[in-house]
Amino acid sequence: MIGLKNFILNREVDRMATATRRKMLSLFAAVMLAFGLLAACAKQSGSNADAGGGAASGAAESGSGGASETAMAPKEPYKITIMAPMKEKDLPSDKILKEVEEKTGYKLEFQWVPDGNYEEKLNTVLATNSFPQVLYMKNQATFVQFKQAIRDGQFWEIGPYLKDFPNLSRLNPTILDNTKVDGKLYTLYMGRDLARQGAIYRKDWLDRLNLQPPTNIDELFNLLKAFTENDPDGNGKRDTFGLTDRNDLVYGAFKTVASWFHTPNNWGEKDGQLLPEFMFPQYVQTMDWFKKVRDAGYMNKEFPVTSKNDQRNLFTSGKAGVYIGAMTDAKTISDETLPNFPDAVIDVFSRVNGPDGQYTTWSIPGYGNVLMFPKAAVKTEDDLKQILGFFDQEMTPEIANLMYWGNPGEHYELKDGLAAEFGGDKADLVARDVREYRNALIGEHETNGSYEGYDSLPAMQHATQLKTENLQYMINDPAAALDSPTLAQKGEQLQQIMSDATYQYILGKIDGAGFQAAIENWKKQGGGDVIREINEAYQKSKQAG
Amino acid sequence: MERARRIRRNKWLYLMILPGFLYFVLFKYIPMYGLVIAFQDYKPYKGIFGSEWVGFAQFSRLFHDPWFWEITRNTLVLFGLNIVFFFPVPIILALMLNEVRVQAFKRAIQTAVYIPYFMSWVIVVAISFVMLTVDNGIINNILTMTGHEKINFLLDVRWFRPLYILQNIWREAGWGTIIYLAAMAGTDPQLYEAARMDGAGRFRQMWHVTLPSIRNVIVIMLLLRMGSVLEVGFEHVYLLLNPTNRHVGEIFDTFMYTQGLLQGQFSYTTAIGFFRSLVGLGLVVCANAIARKFNEESLF
Repeated sequence: MIGLKNFILNREVDRMATATRRKMLSLFAAVMLAFGLLAACAKQSGSNADAGGGAASGAAESGSGGASETAMAPKEPYKITIMAPMKEKDLPSDKILKEVEEKTGYKLEFQWVPDGNYEEKLNTVLATNSFPQVLYMKNQATFVQFKQAIRDGQFWEIGPYLKDFPNLSRLNPTILDNTKVDGKLYTLYMGRDLARQGAIYRKDWLDRLNLQPPTNIDELFNLLKAFTENDPDGNGKRDTFGLTDRNDLVYGAFKTVASWFHTPNNWGEKDGQLLPEFMFPQYVQTMDWFKKVRDAGYMNKEFPVTSKNDQRNLFTSGKAGVYIGAMTDAKTISDETLPNFPDAVIDVFSRVNGPDGQYTTWSIPGYGNVLMFPKAAVKTEDDLKQILGFFDQEMTPEIANLMYWGNPGEHYELKDGLAAEFGGDKADLVARDVREYRNALIGEHETNGSYEGYDSLPAMQHATQLKTENLQYMINDPAAALDSPTLAQKGEQLQQIMSDATYQYILGKIDGAGFQAAIENWKKQGGGDVIREINEAYQKSKQAG
Repeated sequence: MERARRIRRNKWLYLMILPGFLYFVLFKYIPMYGLVIAFQDYKPYKGIFGSEWVGFAQFSRLFHDPWFWEITRNTLVLFGLNIVFFFPVPIILALMLNEVRVQAFKRAIQTAVYIPYFMSWVIVVAISFVMLTVDNGIINNILTMTGHEKINFLLDVRWFRPLYILQNIWREAGWGTIIYLAAMAGTDPQLYEAARMDGAGRFRQMWHVTLPSIRNVIVIMLLLRMGSVLEVGFEHVYLLLNPTNRHVGEIFDTFMYTQGLLQGQFSYTTAIGFFRSLVGLGLVVCANAIARKFNEESLF
C-alpha cells in the first residue's frame, strides 16, 4: 500500500518536476529569443554605423539637441546633409564638427561612406533617389560616370553664383576649368598636390648597406636587389625584400614607375592622334621591368591580390624596404613603423631618371575630388545659395584651419607661421578628430587660407621639397577634361581588360603577342569607339582654343 | 463554411506562418514589378514611368556582349561542379556518421562539421589566402619542406575551380549532413534487422536500406540546391576573382555587380538578372519533371 502510494507520489513529484523543468526551459527559451531579437535590432543600427548611417544618426542626435538649443536663439541654423567618402579607418569624432557648426551657424549632417564602397553607394543613391544636399564624388573616374547625369540636368550649375561669394571666387580657375562639363561649372573641388608620387623607403637599411638613393631606374633595380639579398636589417636572416606593391595599377607602384619610363599619362599623342597609354612602347618597357623584379623575388609575388592595408603592413612590419606611392604618406608610414622598429629611419626619393637619363613624373589634374549639388535634394535657388554660403565660410582661414589642422594647442602648434601637427602619442587623437575633415575641405592652402604644414619629420620636409620639384617635370593627361560616351557606359569593363592583361603579362601568363591580342580585344569591345570619341573631343577643344 | 471552420481551428498555425508569408510577399513578390526596367532605358531620376521603353534591346545587348558566352559557360560549369562534386559529400558524411556507435564522438563530429557554415565567405576566403600564398603560406611551406615545388594556388588559373569546390565543401557540407542524419534517424530499424537476417553486411545495408529511405529527402535537397546555386555564390566568387582567373571565374552575379553597381547600368543588369533567373527556373522545372516521372517526391 505504502509502496503504491509512494510510487504514485514519486510519479506525481517527477511529473511536477518535469512540468516545472519544462516551464523553466520554455521561459528560458522565450527570454533568449527576446534577447536575440534585441541583439539583432541593436546590431542593425550598429551595422548601419558601418554603412555610414550611424554617423548620420549620431550627428542627428547632436543635431536635434542643438536644434532645440538654437530654437531659443534668434536664427534657426540651416541644415546641410553631406555624403563623403571616408578615407580613415574609423568615423571621426564630432569635436571639430561641433566647433565648425558653432562658428559657421550651420547644422551639418555628414554621411561618411567607406572609401572602398563609395562607387556602389553613389549608384545606390542615384538609383533610390536618396540624394544628400551635397554629394562628393570619389575621384576622377566616378566624376566621369556622373557626367551623363549632369547633362540630364540633375545637378545645379553653380558657375554663375560663385561671383556672389568673395571667398569661393578665390578657387583656382584653371582647376575649376578642368572640372567643367560642356563648358559649365557644376562642382567645387578639393585640391591635391599635382605631382606627389615618389618612393618611401627605409633609410636605415640603405645606410647599413652603404648605398645611395637611386637616381635612375637601373640603380632602383639594384636597390631592390640589395634589399632582398644583402640582409639590410642585419639580423643574419634573408627575410626581407625590396618593393611592396598592391592590386592597383594607378595608385600602386605601376603608374609611377611607368612615368619614370616616360609613359604618357592615360593618353598620349602619336602622329597627331591621342592614343591610350598601353599602346606606347614605354608601357611595355615598364611591364618588362616589373616582370624582372617580380621573377627575381625583389617584390611581393602576390601583389595582384594584395590590398592597400596588407601592402603597408609589409613595409611597417619590416619585411619590405620600398613603398612607391604618394610621398606625403611618409608621416603615417613612419608613425606606423617606428613602434615596431624604433631605430628605423624613413626617407623619400622621387627623381628617378629613365633609361635616357631624363626625369618625368605623372600629374593629377589638380583635384583629388569634387562635390556637386543634386537638384533632387536642393530644391530652390535660395537653398543653393545657403549651402554655397557655408562653403564660402569654409574658404576662410578660421574654418579652413579648423577643418585641416584642428585646434591650436590640441592638435597642432604654430611654428614660424606654419602649422606643425602633433605626432607621437598625439597622432591618434589628430587622426580621430581632424584627418577625415581634412579630406572634405575644398580648395587648397593658397586659396582657402589655411596654414601650410610645418614638417618636423625630415622625410616629410624632403617630400614637400620633392613634390614641388616634381611640378617642373610633369606629364599631363591631355584627355583629362574630355569625354567619351562609350567610356561612361563601358569604362569599367574596358579598363578591366587592359589591367588584367597588364597583370597577366607581368606574371608571365601572356607574352608580347598576347598583350597585343588583348589590345585588339579592347578595341573590338568598344575601345575603338573610345579612341574615336576622345579624338573628336580633342579636336573640338583645340579649335575652341 | 467548412474551410472557414478549418481555418479557425488551425488559426494559430496560420498565424505562425503569417510573418514568413508576409516576408515573401513584401520582399520577393512585390519587388518583381521592378523587372520592368529590364525593358527600359532606366534613368533613376526619371523613375520607372518616365524612362524610355526599349523592348528587348537590353537582352539583345546581353546576347551580343562578347563576355556573354564565357559568363554562361562559367556559371554552368561551376553549377555542374557543385552538383557533381559537392552534392554527394554531405550524403556520404551522413552515411558514415550514421554508422558511428559512440554518441559523444558522433555529436562532436556533427558540431565540428557544422560550424564553418556560420562563417562568412570573407573569412573562409581570407583564411585560404593566408594558408595558400607563396609568400610563406603554410601549405607551400609544407611543400618545400617535403622537397616539392611551391604551387601558386592563388594566381594559377587551374586552381580556381578546385579551390571553389573545396571551399564550398568545407563551408557547407556540414549543414547538409545534419539534414540527412535527421532523415536517417527516421528509418525503421526493423528494415535493418530484416536486411541483417538476409545476410547483408554494413555496406549492403547502407545501400539497400539507408539510402532508399532517405531518397525523397535527397531529391528535394537536389531540387533546392539546383534552384539556389544559380543565385547564391556572388560573395564567394567575387572574393576569389583576380586578373588571372577572370575568364573562368566571371559569372552572371559578378558581372552584374561590375556593370550595375560600379558602372550604373541599371537596365542592363536587370535584364541579365532576369535572364539568369529564367535559366535557374528552367533547370528546376526540368529537374522537377524528371523527379515526377520517376514517381519520386517533387517540389510541385
